[in-house]
This record gives sequence, C-alpha cells and structure tokens, in this order.
Amino acid sequence: MDFEPRYTAEQETFRTEVQDWLRDNIPGGIQHPADSIDLTYEQYQLRRELGRRLGDKGWLWPTAPQEYGGGGLTIDHSVVLEEEIDNYNLSLPPYYDSGGRLGGNSILVWGSEEQKQEFLPKIFKGEIRTWQLLTEPEAGSDLANAKTAARRDGDDYVINGQKVYVGSAHGSDYMWTITCTDPEGDRHQNLSWFMVPSNLPGISVFPMDLLSSAGESGAGSGVKNIVYFDNVRVPARNLIGGENEGWKVATTHLELEHGTGGRIGRNWIVDRLFDYCKSNNRRGETLSKDPDVRERLVDIYIDAEIGRLFQLRNYWMRHSGANVTYEGPQASYFRKQSGLRVATGILDILGPAALTKDEQWGAGEGNFESNQRAAIIALHPGGTTDIQKVIMARRIGIGRQQRERAGALA
Amino acid sequence: MDLALNEEQEMLKAAVRRFVDTEYPKETLLELSATGQSAPSEPWQRLAGTGWLGIIIPTEYGGEGGSYTDAGVLFEELGRGPVPGPHLSSAALGALTILEAGTTDQKRSLLPDLASGRRTVALAITEADYQWDESDVQTLATASGDGYRISGTKVYVYDAASATDLICAVRTENRQHVGLVIIPADAPGVSIRRLEGFAWNLAEIRLDAVQIAPSAILGATFGGGWDALERAVASSIPLLCAFQVGGSQQVYEMSVDYSRTRIQFGTPIGRFQRVQDHIINLVNELDAARWTTYEALWKLDSERDAADSIHLAKAVSSAAYYNACNHAHEVHAGVGSTTEYGLTLHTTASRTLYQFLGDPKFHRRRLADALGL
Repeated sequence: MDFEPRYTAEQETFRTEVQDWLRDNIPGGIQHPADSIDLTYEQYQLRRELGRRLGDKGWLWPTAPQEYGGGGLTIDHSVVLEEEIDNYNLSLPPYYDSGGRLGGNSILVWGSEEQKQEFLPKIFKGEIRTWQLLTEPEAGSDLANAKTAARRDGDDYVINGQKVYVGSAHGSDYMWTITCTDPEGDRHQNLSWFMVPSNLPGISVFPMDLLSSAGESGAGSGVKNIVYFDNVRVPARNLIGGENEGWKVATTHLELEHGTGGRIGRNWIVDRLFDYCKSNNRRGETLSKDPDVRERLVDIYIDAEIGRLFQLRNYWMRHSGANVTYEGPQASYFRKQSGLRVATGILDILGPAALTKDEQWGAGEGNFESNQRAAIIALHPGGTTDIQKVIMARRIGIGRQQRERAGALA
Repeated sequence: MDLALNEEQEMLKAAVRRFVDTEYPKETLLELSATGQSAPSEPWQRLAGTGWLGIIIPTEYGGEGGSYTDAGVLFEELGRGPVPGPHLSSAALGALTILEAGTTDQKRSLLPDLASGRRTVALAITEADYQWDESDVQTLATASGDGYRISGTKVYVYDAASATDLICAVRTENRQHVGLVIIPADAPGVSIRRLEGFAWNLAEIRLDAVQIAPSAILGATFGGGWDALERAVASSIPLLCAFQVGGSQQVYEMSVDYSRTRIQFGTPIGRFQRVQDHIINLVNELDAARWTTYEALWKLDSERDAADSIHLAKAVSSAAYYNACNHAHEVHAGVGSTTEYGLTLHTTASRTLYQFLGDPKFHRRRLADALGL
C-alpha cells in the first residue's frame, strides 16, 4: 500500500519542469477573490489564457487521451501537476469548466469518432469552456423528468425549454444538455444529449440572484443562470450517443459528478482557518490555545482528513480501474455534510466575524464569510445529500435483487 | 500511489478469513464469550500453530518479520469474528513492548515463545484512576532481597484472564520512574478476577507483594520503561484499529444481508429509506475507520512521522466500531438483541475497545498536541 505517488527520478525531473513552467507561465496579477462572484472578466481571461497554455502542453487534462488533445500522462504525472498547481491556490482547470471533467468523458465514451475529433481537442486543450445544462424547474432531483424539448427537423433538432442553476459568470462556448425527444416515450428512454454552441440564435442567459453559487472542488463558478431555448436549431451531428439514448450518456458524467473522480489537493478553507487560529489572539492568548477552539479545530481536522482520504481513494480507484460501487456518492455525501460541519465549527470559533466581509471586522479577508454561505448552498449541486444516499443504497444493493452498476467511465 | 493490498497480503487475508470461518464459527464465539476462556482453547491452539502470532516479530527472534500492514490484514480479519484474544495483547502490544523495552537477552528468551504462542502476555497498565497516562501508575516496586516486591491493583486489564504472563507498569519506590516488569500470571501473590457484565475480556489484577528477580525488569532498569511502552502502544494502535475495522465490516455485511432478507410490510426492509439511512451511516463510519487506519499503517511501514495519523485513526476507529454496532442494532431491532444472533458479540467488543489504549477524547487531545495546537 502506498498513499503517495512514487516519485521516480523521471518524475522529479518532471516536477522541476512543471515548477519552472508554472513560474514562467502563470500570468502576473492572477488573484483569488474570496467569493468567485468577484472574479472580474479580466481575471477570468487571465485564467483562460493559463488554461490554453496548459492545454498546449497537455497539462490541462493530463490523463485525457493524447489522440484527442489530452496529455496522455500517467496518474503519477497528473498527481505532480495537481500538487504543483495547488501550491498557487489554483486547480486544473484554473476556472469553472464542466467540459473536461464531466461532459468530455461522456463524449469519450459515447461519441462517434467524428464527434470525438470535433469536440474533445477543443475541450482538452482549453480552447473552449463548456457549461452543463441539466436541472429544470420540474427536473431537479428527478433529472430524468427533463421536459426541454428537442424535435427533429431536417438536418437539425429544434430545442425549446428552460434550464436553471447552470453555468457560471462570463459565458461559455458550448453548452451540453439533456433534452426530451419523445414526450410519450418510456422514462429514461426518451432523452437525448446534445453539444450546443452557445452563440446559436434563440439562446438567452439570465444570471440568478442566489445566496451563493457554492462551488465544487476547485474553481467556483461565480454565478448560476437561467438559460432559455427558443426554437434553437442545433445540427443533428451534435447529438451524442443517438436519439433517445441520452440517459445512458448522462450516466457517465453523473457518475463523475457524484464524486467518483476523486480529487487530490488541500482543503483551502481548513488550512486558512488553522493559520488564522495560530496567528491571531483573543484576550491576549493565541486563539488555537483556547481549549474550546482546540476542540473545534480537531473536529474540523478529522472531518477534513476523512474527506481527503475518501477523495484520494476515489482518485486512485478511478485511475487504477478498481471496481467502483458506492464510493462516488459516498465521497460526495461526506463532502457536503462535513463541509457544513466545518462551517459550523468556523462559526463557533470566530463568532460574528465569520459572517461579514467587512475589512475591519470580518475575519480572513472575506473567505470565512463566503464559506458560511457556500457550505449551506453546496448541499444540493450535483445531487442533494438525499440523492447521494439513494444512489449509495442502490449501489450497495440494499433491498433490491440486483445491485445498480456504476456509470461507464472512459 | 497504490491503495491495494499486495498479492501476499491478499493471500493472507483469504487464509485468515477461511481460518476464522472454520475455527471460530458463531457457536464457538458464543461459547468462548460465555466462559471467558478464550485461551487456551482448541481454536486458539490452532491459531498459535499458524505462526501468525509472530507476524510482526523479527525473524531473528522466531517471528515472520512482517510489516505493520501485513499485521493489519491479520487483525482486521480476526476482528470480523470478533476473535477473542490475547492475540492483539500478545502478538502486537506485548511483542512490540519487549522489542522497545527489553534487553537482547529478554528478546531472545521471550519473543520466540510469543511467536509460537507458547507464552502470551497482557499489558497491565491502568489502575483505579483510569487513564493511559504515566501519572496514574501507582503500583509500587519496592527493593526486597536481590529483587523487588510488586504491590498494587491493576484494573480494566484487557486479556489478563487468558495470558500466561503480565507486563506491568510499576512505579519505583522513590516515585521517579515508571518501569515495566514481566510477571507470570500464576506467580504467588497474583490474583486475577474477571470483570463481569458488558465488559469484553477485562479483569482486575491484584499484585500482593509479588517477588520478582531483577531479570524480570524489561530493559534491566526502570528508567525509560514508560517511554518504551508509549512507543509500543503507539505502533500497536493502528493494529487495534484494524481489528475495529474488521468488526465494523462484519456488522455492515450482517446489516446489508438482513435488510435484503427481512420482510416487513410485505417487502425487504432495505427498501425503506429510513433503514437505508442506518446502513449508509454505518458504511461511512466503516470507511472512515478503514482509510485512516490504512494510512497510519502505511506511515509506520514507510517510517514517516505517524503520530498524527495514529491518534486520528484511533479516535475515528473507536467511534466507528461503536457507532457501526449502534446502526446495526437499528437495522436488526429485536433479532439483533438476541445472544444467539451474534451481533451482540460485536456490540460488546466495541464498547471495551472504544476505551482500550485511549478513548476518542484522549486521542483527540493528543492529536491537537501533534498538530501543534
């Protein structure tokens, strides 16, 4: 058993190469707003530029296949990359993008060769940023109830409908989405999955006013939007996996979104909290020496460690081809629940200073305030905690004759 | 990175599982539990015969020279029983204490016997002021003739009733040192009384002017004994955690099976999301224990600083096994409360092991220290 990558001489050379490259290529002025909603368009463009540079090297999606524009690297190389970029408080990709992590995998598994050649290099090289458009007003936890309609018309499909809680600030190049192509058809057999260019006529995007856009691991999205489709004509060649085969295509990215991909990296908010408590005083004593604070910090540390280990295990399972069952939604469930416990711990430790981003009276430059909001909102994106438990139960095989199988991954 | 067991470990895991299934069926476990006579019993003799009690003992002292992870595999499978000791007390805590504290002669004379199971030890540390701290050791070693007389009362001693020898923590007359002495369990002046009730293999040991020779002092002097013990306990904790992981795994599998076969309201109860919640809580506890434990074992094997991981693993695994049993009782309801079903074997073990070598609160404090808080 080995919980760390084995750093061969070749990998250490690779690490040096990565360190040198990052030093030379991370654009000056990349900042880390406490809340991703404060990421300016100029800041976003700097991150996209970094993404394209990483993409040219095959480092944006290091383990994606080389023939489709990925890095084709091993897990041990990708670990080095993720560790090194983590040192800059950045992640791969350094901006919100659903394409490489989720949608790209669906195309890789279910797309035709032509579709793979058309879409994947752009995604894996960071040339385009894509959004996922899944949730609808009447299709939340019950995603298969999607009503957004796609009707065949000649060489096109015509899409009409509404998607909610989607995307990010600063737009997208493509949107991938699940639509209903057979309103009379059986459940799960009436859906179709499309790659939709974002600039098509009839698409309109309206930002939503939310307590927080939360943010999965890595880069936050800033805002979430409502997207309307009004007679949007999408070429039929953008249909992935075939008509009425969309649910199958979705199981791949849903599997990953439910935590099966795993993650390597620090828990920034926990690191920041420990630093804060070790370097700030209350009533003349270091905060971390207060017995109550100590106890809370240990609670938080334990949650963070278990979460880290679940993510590490899933990362390893994903890359070693181990047989995955309930582990994805387990990690997702734990991340959501423990994230809220951590936020409660922060509130206990910092009091009202955790609730304001006021420069004088807020703690941690607004990062704790942002975390207080994000922790409660993070309970639902990618499936509520209850949905994670439902999937876990099916995968464990409780109360059913047959266990549900995990979605197919590339 | 590779979080899989290696091929030999997989083989060991399968072999121990077969052994436990064959030698420690539920009926045997219930019988041993009722009598408290876990060793020397027939299955125990066969366990000793496998050589597994020497898994962590270096080959030069007659053991197998295995890694901590190897030993973790063994104890995890024993935990599925739960197979009663004194395996953990003797093969892990006892062996590691002798390795840390003993003279070369003591290692040569004691360790081969521990490896073969000819002798077994239990660690008699705790006393009336129950805690795993040096300050609570009040049993005294008084100079007497060529040797010493040991007097005091050890209590809540795990596996004491089934070990051939006892390693006792004793305080010197001038109260300056806490050292370790090894005493035959049948020496004059030693009386052992099993603590009845919900405790799992705990006993009181009265030491009434027990005469020992200087050769019975581990390391030949009292000084440094406690520090050596702390090192041995620290290295043994992940093995205890592995035992708790195995126990949690077993009650998890029992609960899943039961939820698939128990019919109420005309359907398997696992169909009910309320019931599913218990099983999901259970598997989350189990996996938290498993991965914190495995990481601690890996750190020991790769000679990294493991202090934080050890305290983390014990805090998590103790609570996990305890809670796993609670969740399993929610799933099983009345059936789980019957002795013959077997769940209560785990419930009973989980309570004692929750405390043994320090409870979660104790290890959380130590973890805070290790983190520099």
